[in-house]
Amino acid sequence: MASPKILIIGGGPAGLSAAQDITDAGGEAILVEQEGFLGGTPKRLHYSLLAPDLKPVEEVLDPLIDSVQQSGARCMTGAKVESVNSGRNGFTVTISGGGKKVEEKVDAVVVATGFAHWDPHKKYEYAYGVYPDVIDFKDFEKMLSDGNIVRPSNGQVPRRVAWLLCVGSRDRQVGKFYCCRLGCAVSIKQAMEVRRINPAIDTYVYYMDIRTYGFWEDKLYWKSMEEFGVKYIRGRIGSINRGEDGRLIAMAEDTILQRPSEVPLDMVVLATGMEASEGTRETAAMLGLELEEHGFVKPLESDSMPVSTAVPGVFVCGTATGPKAIPDSITEGSAAAIKALNYVRKRSIKVQARA
Amino acid sequence: MPIHEKNLIEKEDLLEKEKAVVDGVDVSGRWNTFIRERLLSDYHEDFVEEVKSLPGGRTVTNCWQCGTCTSGCCLHTDYGLREFNPRYFIYLAQIGNVDELKKYGDVIWRCISCNKCVERCPKGVKVEEVVHNIDEVLRRRGVTEDTPGSRWDRTYLDNIMATGVLDELGLTLKYVRAEKPEDFTRGFMARMAVKIIRNGNIRTGPIRRRTRGWKKMKKVAEDILERDGYASAK
Ligand SMILES: Cc1cc2nc3c(=O)[nH]c(=O)nc-3n(C[C@H](O)[C@H](O)[C@H](O)COP(=O)(O)OP(=O)(O)OC[C@H]3O[C@@H](n4cnc5c(N)ncnc54)[C@H](O)[C@@H]3O)c2cc1C
Ligand code: SF4
Ligand code: SF4
Repeated sequence: MASPKILIIGGGPAGLSAAQDITDAGGEAILVEQEGFLGGTPKRLHYSLLAPDLKPVEEVLDPLIDSVQQSGARCMTGAKVESVNSGRNGFTVTISGGGKKVEEKVDAVVVATGFAHWDPHKKYEYAYGVYPDVIDFKDFEKMLSDGNIVRPSNGQVPRRVAWLLCVGSRDRQVGKFYCCRLGCAVSIKQAMEVRRINPAIDTYVYYMDIRTYGFWEDKLYWKSMEEFGVKYIRGRIGSINRGEDGRLIAMAEDTILQRPSEVPLDMVVLATGMEASEGTRETAAMLGLELEEHGFVKPLESDSMPVSTAVPGVFVCGTATGPKAIPDSITEGSAAAIKALNYVRKRSIKVQARA
Repeated sequence: MPIHEKNLIEKEDLLEKEKAVVDGVDVSGRWNTFIRERLLSDYHEDFVEEVKSLPGGRTVTNCWQCGTCTSGCCLHTDYGLREFNPRYFIYLAQIGNVDELKKYGDVIWRCISCNKCVERCPKGVKVEEVVHNIDEVLRRRGVTEDTPGSRWDRTYLDNIMATGVLDELGLTLKYVRAEKPEDFTRGFMARMAVKIIRNGNIRTGPIRRRTRGWKKMKKVAEDILERDGYASAK
């Protein structure tokens, strides 16, 4: 039997992990990534240190990228899958890239097209895009990577930075009913980084509840208050105004004091939620995959078959099926790889039996 | 207009005027009640730093406001002193809300150091020490005056600094003479003395004991106290 040939769409943590396991198991992997590089969203947006161990992105993802590149997987960057046709013996796909089009026959497809940041412009009360000192946390990740924490409005070092959790998450008003799972952890991590770089900057997290599940509790939440003096204010900011001196005024209720609160802040970082990426939606439409109620790809069984789909031969992993962290995305990549390999093996046994 | 959440309005924030004129309009009568603004308009980070800098204060930022301490606090529950809420004092300290803390100036010092809160706090806050530090910082800043609690602390410190060993009898007599607490009648004192001498809870007698080599150790203790700003040590 010829070695199974599997197409992976998306070269983020999930797709890379799937590609690695497929080649390690003797399969042939074709990895198609639309950007000119591998590593996915963490690389594209220049995240700095990763939760929970505060390791640089490069340290976490570069070994994975290198080993995929050396494994013999065919990595096509700057490329997109144009069409997929399923036939009796697998799929015929057209891939375009570098001004060329190629056709490939593959036995199975793994979808790893990831997530997108929710656009905070839509929450106009927070004046993102109006006041330069209101930024979202991908902007702040970039600032941390550049090692330059300054107020965009005047280039000065802020005295007080606040994070506002759940922007575009857990909010009926914007049609997002789910938790982003990472906002708390990433905000807390960012606040710790700020305190480490410059302890003179005071940091506040405005929260409804803190969801640093599992080991992220003590590694992030506890540590931030106990070792870094990050402060927590229970209450969701309702709107952000600008004071006379150009500082931001966060209009909130301090629900512990049971008082209105209008405290001046120098910068507010919005912890924007996750939604399915455009690539995820397009790819789902192309492959005939159903979306679940939050707009992510619907797994065959969300509890027992999280990486299978209703379309035979198509598997899915990572944030394409919902918010999750890098380790979970990597684990799912491996899971999708073994499911895809088994699918091909079982099918070829059937074909042999028929012959 | 009905006032919502009336329970949140504190008496001293209610202003009622016999005659009130606003922008030339006479609003006396039904409309003459005003509520002082309760807005939280700033944080004061230096307060918590000061609480932290005193011995035992480091854990003040560990608190996540769960209320375990308050729910078991003897003062809050058994003695019914509901205003004594260590959780709340800690939050006010965290955000540096001195105005609000000031209202509790005559309450915070009343902690009897049973340490139940310290035993129970899931975040390892040294609640008892932290609350004492908050009280101490308020006094150092002149927000609150001396209280029976702070005077007790000073008498205690002076007593132990004299010889290195606590002289309970001397301590009690000195304090009671100075403070004249209502409940401490002669009869009460006598009955208490008999009880605690019998059950061995008090170990001082007429002869004052001292720690061997106390002179040298005292110097070290004084230096530490001075470093931490407890001026009365010398
Ligand atoms: C601000 C922020 C900080 C974070 N920090 C952490 C952290 O500290 N620790 C942690 O564990 N997790 C963190 N995460 C989560 C982490 O980013 C995700 O778990 C991870 O990126 C998911 O990997 P993925 O492969 O599923 O998706 P992605 O990383 O989004 O990768 C998907 C890839 O698919 C490509 N693609 C999409 N569509 C197509 C298409 N049609 N054709 C070809 N290619 C396509 C994309 O270009 C992209 O490269 C953070 C998330 C956010 C929002
Ligand atoms: S992870 Fe935190 S920030 Fe994100 S939606 Fe959930 S509770 Fe809000
Ligand atoms: S028990 Fe501890 S963490 Fe909970 S409110 Fe009291 S001091 Fe804070």
